[in-house]
Amino acid sequence: MKIDIEHNCPFNSDHTPFGDVVLSSRARLARNLEGFPFVNRASTSDCKEVTSLVNRICNTDNQANKLEWVDMDELDSVTTTMFVERHLISNYLAKAEHPRAIAVGPELSRSVMVNEEDHIRIQSIRPGLQLQDVMNDVHLLDLQIEEAVCYAFHEQLGFITACPTNLGTGARFSVMLHLPGLRIIKDLQRIHQACEGMSLAIRGYRGEGSSTIADLFQVSNQITLGKTEEQLCEILANDFLPPVIEWERKARMQIAEKQLSKLDDQTFRSLGVLKNARLLTSEEAMQCLGNLRLGICLERIQDISMHTINQLIVEIHPAHLKYKYGHDLDADEINLCRSEHIRNKITP
Amino acid sequence: MTTCDKCEKPAIYHDVRIVNGIHNTTHLCADHAIEAGINLGPIDLSIVLKEAGTVLSTDNAKSCDDCGMTIAQYKENSLLGCPTCYETFKEELEHIIAKVQDNHTQHVGRAPSQTTFEQDRHLQIRRLLKKLEAAVHEEEYEEAAVLRDQLRDLHDTGEHHEN
Repeated sequence: MKIDIEHNCPFNSDHTPFGDVVLSSRARLARNLEGFPFVNRASTSDCKEVTSLVNRICNTDNQANKLEWVDMDELDSVTTTMFVERHLISNYLAKAEHPRAIAVGPELSRSVMVNEEDHIRIQSIRPGLQLQDVMNDVHLLDLQIEEAVCYAFHEQLGFITACPTNLGTGARFSVMLHLPGLRIIKDLQRIHQACEGMSLAIRGYRGEGSSTIADLFQVSNQITLGKTEEQLCEILANDFLPPVIEWERKARMQIAEKQLSKLDDQTFRSLGVLKNARLLTSEEAMQCLGNLRLGICLERIQDISMHTINQLIVEIHPAHLKYKYGHDLDADEINLCRSEHIRNKITP
Repeated sequence: MTTCDKCEKPAIYHDVRIVNGIHNTTHLCADHAIEAGINLGPIDLSIVLKEAGTVLSTDNAKSCDDCGMTIAQYKENSLLGCPTCYETFKEELEHIIAKVQDNHTQHVGRAPSQTTFEQDRHLQIRRLLKKLEAAVHEEEYEEAAVLRDQLRDLHDTGEHHEN
């Protein structure tokens, strides 16, 4: 499968509601098939049978629902890692050795992982705050899959999942937030408290167990049972995000008013590094891009668009660079290509 | 493995910041991260399992009829083996589900629509095949013959339905 990185990335869209604070919205549903053991206890033949049953969802004439089927074993390692870097598939699916697959929409925003921790993981990701839309995306895919297979379901426990943390709706809604303002005014604790009060989990850029980088945080619902899909989505969209967006915007305004020279120093120092460095690690590049993003939001820089920064946050990862500049690059060459790639994009 | 900045335990919280070109890294274990007021995100199932240890240790040998999983194996990787495990270990799991789901115990979201005739037939065939395999393994040939006849009937029903 040939993937067009330049044109098929959900972050290429100009439609990014509340994009100054919300980088992306994501929804995922966990499902298992009745009559089969979960993936961790399944035999190779069970896994193959599950993939062949789910494969039928790709046989649709409806172009709007069209998905492309990819057996993970047929995918080269660079493209597999690129999918992980795009949050399209999990690390686990990329590295597992049992039969597994992914069905993916041509726009690379909707995907169905087959034989991950659960038999089926349905996912949609969109730029900005579009939680309602990603919920609709996964719901439509869910209905489409339901025509082909029989889900494991229990009156009391809902959709049955391998881990009890996903029982019930099997639904996880999440947003990627950029919160440099609250970090600078040292008020991030407020976000942690809000999350605790609403049964939400907060993690780093790469999800569970990952570190905080570039002031990017993923927030998602912690519970999946006892509330409807709509209620879980609303907690995040209506209860949590409006105040958080307001706090972050106020913090940024406060910085622009009271700490302008400090803000300018951080912004233009980062711009200097990105324009002049010849070897950039992904950590340093991400940190500088995060600082630049804040400078752009506060109109300290006007000749680089936020859209460019959003794209770069995805494109500077190793597999994306290998895909564009050569599969055999070593670590130093990747750092060299990263600096060149960023320079090309941000130099007018 | 990276260890905690404040003790020798493995670090589970990592933070990297670059200020004026200088890297500042922080690595903390769970205890010191909590002490520093850091929200570690999702509930760590292993901690919940540790707390539930007394409940779970009562019958470590009990196993699921369908997939053979034991509670001891579940404690090891926090994943159940099949849907039937939820029935087999109902008593043991009640506490864990309530804990990780904020005391919610009843599903209120959407349910799958009715299964089709073909899906239902496919499921029955799978269940019978599994029983047949077990019967042959146990050398229960009379039972195996009955199961074989039931399977044949199911196949015939499918063909009849298709016609």
